[in-house]
Amino acid sequence: MKTKLVILASIAGLLAISCPTFAHHGAAAYDMSKPVVLKDAVITQFAWINPHPLIKADYKDDKGNVQHWIMEMGSTPASQLIGWSRTSLKPGDVVTLYVWQAKTGLPVGRFNKVVFADGKVMRDTQTGADNGGRADTGVGR
Amino acid sequence: MRNAFIGAILGLAAMLCFSSVASAQTAQSQPKQANEARSPWKYYPMDRAVGDGGPAPKRDLTGTWAGPGSGAAVPRGINAQDPTAPPLTPLGKQLYDQNKPIGKYSPAGTNDPHNRYCDPFGFPQNMTNEIRGITITTLPNRTFILIQYMDVWREIWTDGRALPATVGGSGKDALDPRYNGYSVGHWEDDYTFVVDTTGLDDTTWTTKNGYPHSIDAHVQERFKRVDKNDLTLTITMDDPKLYTQQFFLGEEHFRWIPNQQLDDFTCIPSQVQEYLKEMGDPAGFDPNARSQRR
Repeated sequence: MKTKLVILASIAGLLAISCPTFAHHGAAAYDMSKPVVLKDAVITQFAWINPHPLIKADYKDDKGNVQHWIMEMGSTPASQLIGWSRTSLKPGDVVTLYVWQAKTGLPVGRFNKVVFADGKVMRDTQTGADNGGRADTGVGR
Repeated sequence: MRNAFIGAILGLAAMLCFSSVASAQTAQSQPKQANEARSPWKYYPMDRAVGDGGPAPKRDLTGTWAGPGSGAAVPRGINAQDPTAPPLTPLGKQLYDQNKPIGKYSPAGTNDPHNRYCDPFGFPQNMTNEIRGITITTLPNRTFILIQYMDVWREIWTDGRALPATVGGSGKDALDPRYNGYSVGHWEDDYTFVVDTTGLDDTTWTTKNGYPHSIDAHVQERFKRVDKNDLTLTITMDDPKLYTQQFFLGEEHFRWIPNQQLDDFTCIPSQVQEYLKEMGDPAGFDPNARSQRR
């Protein structure tokens, strides 16, 4: 009886955590084990588009080579609920980007979070927690 | 006893779910918005109807409603986002197996015509997938459902006509299948509006997970005005060519929007092409990924 209680309570807990999920697609294409960190990346474009806004940035690696990165984030309505707008990032902004890179190894991925020069942090709705989980705690859902 | 116990646990889960939502809203959004100026032109998902608003008006669904994807914390319904299908017929399975939903195949691997090209969901998918807000309005002989996502409008005749017996034939007056089919509606009682639809374009999917339908599928929607602020919709589909039993497509809840505004939100082909070219296709997909709830 006690074992059954633990199992059912675990199921209930999982349901409670996962129930707010609502999005365009999942994250199977990305390596969610550890985010890639792009320190001092320069924003080249913030495309506030559907189905997902795109953050485009140039990142200079240790050898001085410039990598052109593109990452997607949660939908515009979901992102607005946690403070994002079409002007949250501007071309020329120097920031540190955390991104779950695609398993293809190309410089594309799912956005995790951005750290601005003044230390301010903004996160993705669905994969913005440091462990890749939701960061919006179900706001609005 | 055992069922009651399981029910209690699942009920607890639901309470946790919605209480976490509520606490997040209280902590993060309401105080901030309370001090902000309001525009009558903007949708504010954190501005929500309070309580039931009183008794439901009779034979009246008119108004603008927040659905489960509206950001207004409308309780998720039963089965609607990822409905469990009944057993398929051999033809149904053949069609189903051709479809590669985005939840399993990612943007790069899906052949969902909506996610690749912004093609219309078609009915009934447009009443369950991306169901954010809707407006319902009436003329003396018709009811219209205006769907926020994709700016879709559905026309439901209430003048007593019967559904077309044949759609997709070859005669001079044959009716073509439509994305939203052909719909008739009637009031079953003062609070329950029943809509029957057939003649659906069979290139569209019934659900986002790739379940098909035929032209002759018969979909029934039951809109129940529970009170002033609450509307419930249940959807069933009978399609004996493709399914061996009735398909319960789900139950959804809608809440009255205080300022009656909705925002613009649609799939724009040029943006989707940009997204797929620069992001979705390079990201690829994991062929071993299990189907994911989204």
